[in-house]
Amino acid sequence: MQVTLQVKRTDADTKESSWQSYTTELPPAGTVLDGLLQVREEQDGTLAMRCSCRSAICGSCNMRINGHARLACITKASDVSPNGAPIKVEPAGNLPIIKDLVVDFAPFWSKVRQVQPFLQPEGPPPEREYIVDHDAMVHLNPVMACIMCGCCVSDCTALEVDPTFIGPAALAKAYRFVADPRDGKQKARLEMLTQPSGIWDCTHCFECVQQCPKGVAPMDRIMATREIAHQKGVWSGTGARHADEFARTVGHSGRLNELTLLPFSVGVFNVKAQLQLIPGALRLVARRKLPSVIHRSIPGVQGVRRLFHAGKNKKEKVTATR
Amino acid sequence: MTLKFAWYPGCVSRGACTELYQSMVKVTSALGFELDELKEAACTGAGVLHERDHDLADSLNARTLAMAEKRSLPVLTNCSTCQGVMSGVNYRFQHEEGSLERANSLLRESGEGYQYQGATRVTNLLWALAEDLGLDELRSKVTRPLTGLRVAPFYGCYILRPKAHLEMDEHPERAELLQPVIEALGATFVDFRGQSKCCGFPILTMNRRNSLSMAGNHIADAMANGANVMVTPCPLCHLNLDAQQPDAEGVRGGGLGLPILHLPQLIGLALGFSPKDLGMERHVVPALDVLTHVRTAAAVSA
Amino acid sequence: MLQHDILVMGAGLAGMRAALEAQRHGADVALLSKVHPVRSHSTAAQGGINAALSEGDSWESHAFDTVKGSDYLGDQDAIEITAREAGPDIIELEHMGVTFNRDETGRLGARNFGGASQARTYFVADFTGQAILHVMYEQIMKANTRVYEEWFVTDLIMEDGACRGVVAIDMLTGRVEPIWAKAVIIAAGGLGRVFEPSTNALICTGDGMAAAYRAGAPLMDMEMVQYHPTTLKANGVLISEAARGDGAYLINSQGERFLSRYAPNKMELASRDVVSRAEATEIQEGRGVDGCVLLDCRHLGEAKIKERLSQIRELAHDFAGVDIIDEPCPIRPGMHYQMGGIKTDVQGATPVPGIYAAGETACVSIHGGNRLGANSLLETITFGRRAGAAAAEYVKSQPGPAGNGEWSAMVERRLVGLLERPLRRRSAAVRLEMGRIMDRNVSVFRTEAGIQEAWATIRELRAVYPEVGVQDKGKVYNTDLFSALELGYMLDLAEVICAAAQYRKESRGAHFRTDYPERDDVNWLKHTLAYDSEGGPRMETLPVTITQWQPTARSY
Repeated sequence: MQVTLQVKRTDADTKESSWQSYTTELPPAGTVLDGLLQVREEQDGTLAMRCSCRSAICGSCNMRINGHARLACITKASDVSPNGAPIKVEPAGNLPIIKDLVVDFAPFWSKVRQVQPFLQPEGPPPEREYIVDHDAMVHLNPVMACIMCGCCVSDCTALEVDPTFIGPAALAKAYRFVADPRDGKQKARLEMLTQPSGIWDCTHCFECVQQCPKGVAPMDRIMATREIAHQKGVWSGTGARHADEFARTVGHSGRLNELTLLPFSVGVFNVKAQLQLIPGALRLVARRKLPSVIHRSIPGVQGVRRLFHAGKNKKEKVTATR
Repeated sequence: MTLKFAWYPGCVSRGACTELYQSMVKVTSALGFELDELKEAACTGAGVLHERDHDLADSLNARTLAMAEKRSLPVLTNCSTCQGVMSGVNYRFQHEEGSLERANSLLRESGEGYQYQGATRVTNLLWALAEDLGLDELRSKVTRPLTGLRVAPFYGCYILRPKAHLEMDEHPERAELLQPVIEALGATFVDFRGQSKCCGFPILTMNRRNSLSMAGNHIADAMANGANVMVTPCPLCHLNLDAQQPDAEGVRGGGLGLPILHLPQLIGLALGFSPKDLGMERHVVPALDVLTHVRTAAAVSA
Repeated sequence: MLQHDILVMGAGLAGMRAALEAQRHGADVALLSKVHPVRSHSTAAQGGINAALSEGDSWESHAFDTVKGSDYLGDQDAIEITAREAGPDIIELEHMGVTFNRDETGRLGARNFGGASQARTYFVADFTGQAILHVMYEQIMKANTRVYEEWFVTDLIMEDGACRGVVAIDMLTGRVEPIWAKAVIIAAGGLGRVFEPSTNALICTGDGMAAAYRAGAPLMDMEMVQYHPTTLKANGVLISEAARGDGAYLINSQGERFLSRYAPNKMELASRDVVSRAEATEIQEGRGVDGCVLLDCRHLGEAKIKERLSQIRELAHDFAGVDIIDEPCPIRPGMHYQMGGIKTDVQGATPVPGIYAAGETACVSIHGGNRLGANSLLETITFGRRAGAAAAEYVKSQPGPAGNGEWSAMVERRLVGLLERPLRRRSAAVRLEMGRIMDRNVSVFRTEAGIQEAWATIRELRAVYPEVGVQDKGKVYNTDLFSALELGYMLDLAEVICAAAQYRKESRGAHFRTDYPERDDVNWLKHTLAYDSEGGPRMETLPVTITQWQPTARSY
């Protein structure tokens, strides 16, 4: 089948970008990478890209295909071009462009380094292996499967507006140590991860979960890290108060109380933040949008309260189950 | 296809966005939906409860789904976030061994007698328009075609990702459903980059600047592409895009001012309701005169 | 001036392990790689890593299995070392953080693998290589080792018969620089791209082997090219032995588990050369399905497949369109591994002073005529460590660099020549021609005529190499240029493989000649050695080191 690739090229020296269209023939199961390689090998040797294993294990060929970060080697051309429409190919997002589809991964790795990405056991190692539960190791398989391809980072919404955010890849890697029973620095890691630009800055948008080709689900790891932080008492700051207040109002009345949520989240003694909320609150008052001061419970709230009580009483295992 | 649903209005439509509740009642009735409100259903937790206590949040949602199951009705929501959370819960119950049993075990302790079997379908107004009512049927009910209204869609993350939870393999059109709906109402669809991105609401308290930057970027994007109104099926997005728009504008240094409508409000206008019928006087960014954009012989009702 | 005590060429498992060890011994070490370390092909190893660690197992048993697997071409002193040191090496990996599979007591749990008399393959689901590689890179980050990331080696610097470093191109700027070192450890992986198709990544172009060969080091047993039994037809991608290790069957078009006729005891877990030949025979004799046989995992059950074979399932789904839970997967033998390589001793030292080698690039020889699954990951760790330690010791007595400016000038001239010559042929087309003839004629079954035909073709292609031009004339990330340089390396190696295959007149391990179908221990219990010389590879032999196990008939 004939495939048209619209590639965003960037000149290595001037950094000017332009679109270039290529057409090539592929077999029915041909991938976007097959197409790009054919173009490079037969038509245009100047096209620069990274690729190696062709089987989604080395992580080199991360690029934006039709606007979403994917590994080109497992993206079938027929899947992204159902009626033969041209396929848009651009470099991965949120990283500086070096040339064409090659981006600079230095910022990516510097974020990974920030999370102390190596096992730090307590005390000297045993003579043989550490004894650990089979399930604890199997639980880590999905996050060990991360190939550092950067698809998550490319499409991360928070990174788009805030380059200081540690980012989904590094935070998923951090979880891998937080949840490893052999690591002796869990508390210190949690304290570092709950700082600004850490786990509380994730905007919960699922882009990384959707784009990850290996099922790592970085956002789920970030949320699991929050849950462990809660269990371990590393629980302070706006994000933690937000979650606490949410749980309190729902547990008490069965529904969210927007009136108390924002003030309690930012901290009742945080005068600056409280003052910042006032204009917004006044606007809501003016539009009769402000929720009623009398926060009514839902009918049948007793059942909800008993459910919350039962949940609190359940002594769950220390490690998060997902 | 049935138009009878167990209605789950969610928290925000009864709190900070009562105009949404109001328009849902009017518009679904006009479209022939029969709604049985789940008054005893609690908040889904919006994902926030899940990150604090995963199993409790699952069981709280299982309770809601069990209520609908008892009535043998699918759930209809009017919030992308509610949809996403409940779809995620259903998906986990199907694919993660032990999760349904854990949820039911907690429910037993609450003593209300709810036990979820795992069979409730969860849908929302946007999907129901296409999949239950049908877009042709919707088109036939339009009495005031919104010609001239240039509408930018904003989905809300939870109704788009992850695709597996939202059954996008079986229903790939769900990824772009606002376009045919907008067009069925006679309006013009405005394409812009941010429509499938995040509005920033989840981090409004944790990182205010980032949150408002996101909202501001998307609104500016839509305006640059010629939109004179934005529509969203998620009231949490609505809060960040509408109620916070003045602050988002502050972060940008000006240049915003786009009315944001809830999905049933947009539909309601096309069905002949007035902006006041649909509670649009409660919007922070003035929305009462959106109909001035509509080129039609019918008079704009006050 | 860039200089270090030790420069490690290649930052896969062997390279990184060597660097860590050399650093521990106090040397100033730098790694150099043409890709980021975690993109190295070590990441593609799926099944596991061997060691005799469990109750009732012994290093002697592991060693014997390896000797037999090698078809008695492996050097038994090296094999004994590998088997003895495997246990501690794997424990060390676990201490570094590798999330190995556990049994119900919480100890390391092993799976079955080809050619092994008992389960001794330790694993992380079916992506063991990736898991270990990333943990090794974590240790590199922790140790703050200097890495020349995305640098391409063009030459080894040889002065007075000893290696004094490398000349390399910084791929991001096009700058040519000598990196002076008192010793170079070559750990640049295999040469799979000499064949088409191959399971290997696009970067596996034998740069290290060819550079050493050109610098005077001998390449040993290069005819021993492993065809892996289970590769996908569409693109040559590997389906791990782990599937068979966990109980999958191989069946022909008649639904028969045909290995019963070739290896009645070990069946699907016989050595890879035996299984590949069995498959090729079935296909040749008309009992294949569309040029393949079938790998059947259905009876393993959904739960087991999802837990232990998840990556295989994805690969089969993405590239063969089958869900192994419900359907058998068509597979066939594909070029996978080079048992041969740069000759080293058990310390990783080559006969050339200053050149060390480890991993697939090297030939100690542990694998002899055929490598057992899960022994190659082991080799990278054990011999990476040994080479690192040996090189660190060696450099203590070595002088610093003289800093000869001629080297970069010479390389720059060569590159300018390559960049400026007209583009009469593209490197990819020449590579394809080379790859196809090698896969046709120097694969599972070989003949004199076939080998000669391939060799003649390779010589022709070498003659036209000066016509290969480069379209990209830029300095930054010029992949066109690197492809042309890689082709030069590969053509050298293809010729060596042909010469070695023609030279060994017997069948042993992966080298099967229909004109010499028997193993000849009288005349050929020897390694082949290829030296670079004016008219082509000059061949010599070297006796195999036997310690305890005299060659006997090899059957599975």
